[in-house]
Amino acid sequence: MRILITEDETKTGDYLRQGLSEAGFVVELARNGRDGQHLAMTQTYDLIILDVMLPQLDGWSILRSLRDAGQQLPVLLLTARGDVDDRVKGLELGADDYLVKPFAFAELLARVRTLLRRAAAPVAETRLVVADLELDLMRRRVTRAGRRLALTAKEFNLLELFMRHQGEVLTRSLIASLVWDMNFNSDSNIIDVAIRRLRAKIDDDFEPKLIQTLRGMGYLLDVPNQV
Amino acid sequence: MRRPLSLALRLTLLFAIAASIVFPVFGWVISQSAERHFEAGDTNELNIIATAVEQALATDRAGDTLTPLQQRFDDILVGHHHASLAIITGDTAAIYTSPGPDLTSFIALDSNARDSTQPRLWVHKGHSYRALTRPIKPMTTPANSTYRMAVAVPIDHHLQFLTTFRQTLWLMIATGIVTMSLMGWLAVRQGHAPLRRMVTQIGRISANKLETRLTPTAVPYELAGLATSVNEMLDRITAAIHRLRDFNADIAHELRTPVSNLMTQSQVALSRPRTADQYREILGSNLEEYERLAQMVNDMLFIARTDNTLAIKNLSKFQLLDEVEALFDYYSAWAEERHISLAVNGDAVFTGDRLMLKRALNNLLSNAIRYSADGGTVQISLNLKGGETVQILVENSGKEIPGEHLPKLFDRFYRADPSRQQGAGTGLGLAIVQSIIKAHGGRITVTSNHGITRFQINLPQGPVSTDH
Repeated sequence: MRILITEDETKTGDYLRQGLSEAGFVVELARNGRDGQHLAMTQTYDLIILDVMLPQLDGWSILRSLRDAGQQLPVLLLTARGDVDDRVKGLELGADDYLVKPFAFAELLARVRTLLRRAAAPVAETRLVVADLELDLMRRRVTRAGRRLALTAKEFNLLELFMRHQGEVLTRSLIASLVWDMNFNSDSNIIDVAIRRLRAKIDDDFEPKLIQTLRGMGYLLDVPNQV
Repeated sequence: MRRPLSLALRLTLLFAIAASIVFPVFGWVISQSAERHFEAGDTNELNIIATAVEQALATDRAGDTLTPLQQRFDDILVGHHHASLAIITGDTAAIYTSPGPDLTSFIALDSNARDSTQPRLWVHKGHSYRALTRPIKPMTTPANSTYRMAVAVPIDHHLQFLTTFRQTLWLMIATGIVTMSLMGWLAVRQGHAPLRRMVTQIGRISANKLETRLTPTAVPYELAGLATSVNEMLDRITAAIHRLRDFNADIAHELRTPVSNLMTQSQVALSRPRTADQYREILGSNLEEYERLAQMVNDMLFIARTDNTLAIKNLSKFQLLDEVEALFDYYSAWAEERHISLAVNGDAVFTGDRLMLKRALNNLLSNAIRYSADGGTVQISLNLKGGETVQILVENSGKEIPGEHLPKLFDRFYRADPSRQQGAGTGLGLAIVQSIIKAHGGRITVTSNHGITRFQINLPQGPVSTDH
């Protein structure tokens, strides 16, 4: 998967490139708007990460020229401004997602993967499986090692989120936003409580433990030896 | 938009227009009465002559020769300067004509025009006269023969005078208009002097000397309101600037601690080689600190934006109960763990920014749960008061907040319990709540007694007013 990053801030650009490369993407970095536009129009990418405030040519213009040229690849905008107007403008111009700085890298990664998945032909899944944990989306049933587990509706949604993002770090704010629709800073310990309860049901009586805590980052669900 | 005309120009124009209307009207009236005056004098003279002629004819009973009569007519004209007289019989035959203009042509003209005995203006050979014709019925003449007399006085000199008089009058009027306009302009300039003084005074006020105030009693009555308004505006600006300065100081203070922690921790970590696990631990701990910093910055930006919001943009109508229930759903696990019961009663429809309101309720609910004693209760009440005000109560049982902290609770970075300085949150939660409520034109108050801490929000239900 090829990703183009257009970011003028040196450190941000470097870390984004490193982070995404280490996450398994082929990454190219443009340090100003002109280069970014040139690369975007001449090369083939699966996704573009675009900083809005760029020297020479801003992110809006690049996005507009891309869409005018009929390029439908997913575009994720980065901005230091969280104004609703900015967000609306970005989405109207055809951006697929929008992140406000400062953001957690794990959240960026999760959004990038979601956009790439969305761009690929979506497969209507009915079952999610990680190790011996199974999630039946149709009947909303969870079993582990063949044993039926009783989950509340929110716990089911939470587990579904983890399983769909197997091996990806999910930040607390992303979890709060996707499961509870809490789109602002809220008590992050609420997520810890919810995860603790979910663990009690799916991990406490089983091996291996699937939900892992990453200090300072969040949680992920995976089979341990694959991490 | 075009700039309106200056006040001085407006008033000067008004003066000029007023003078241009009033003076000419006066002038017209005066010149008319002068004309009437001369006309009346002429008419009087004509009548005197005509009457004298009639009397002369009436006293002449014998009907003898006309010679003595002619003498009499001459006598009548004596003393009437330049007056002329003619008497004709039939149509044209002149019985008597005095020296002067040929009055027979006037008689012809006049009798052709109408049968009037009123004096008329008559122009003959380049001279103007006021002239009169009258039929005469002498006793001695046969009944069928008619006589007419014509009397005329020259009025050239009157007309001459009137022309000069009018010229002088109009010159005076023009001078009057110009003088009035000029005086008006001077008066306006003079009248605006207090205004200019006030402008100078206001001009001296700068960001560093905001304490200067105008004295409403030292300016004319009309300007007192303006002076008061300017003072009030200055008060507001001063308060805002002080708030901003305090806020800056607070930010610096709040950021110093975590930044210094991060620096120390990183320096210690780098002072000697460590295992990968130790580095991971340190980076993780740093990340937690960074996250707090990021959240603080986001919260501060949110407050700054909300405080500068003139009008709520994303207005929608929603049930408050729905939002409370969604929040309860989020907090239920935590509350359950601590055996805190969450309860809500009532419901109200509210028009406002749904996400903002939810955020405000979230912060209050999170606080309420955090400061509840284990096994306590958190109660939210939603009421519609008087059909216009939505009242939201958020109550929790637990340790009371000492009274001296209550007024400062909504200040940024204020923490009632200093030991919680580095605890959860950014110290901006309640400041955010207040910003949101104010942006919606509402009010929030807090009380804490009998083991219950209660936050009370009053919000106008309708569309939000833009000034707060």
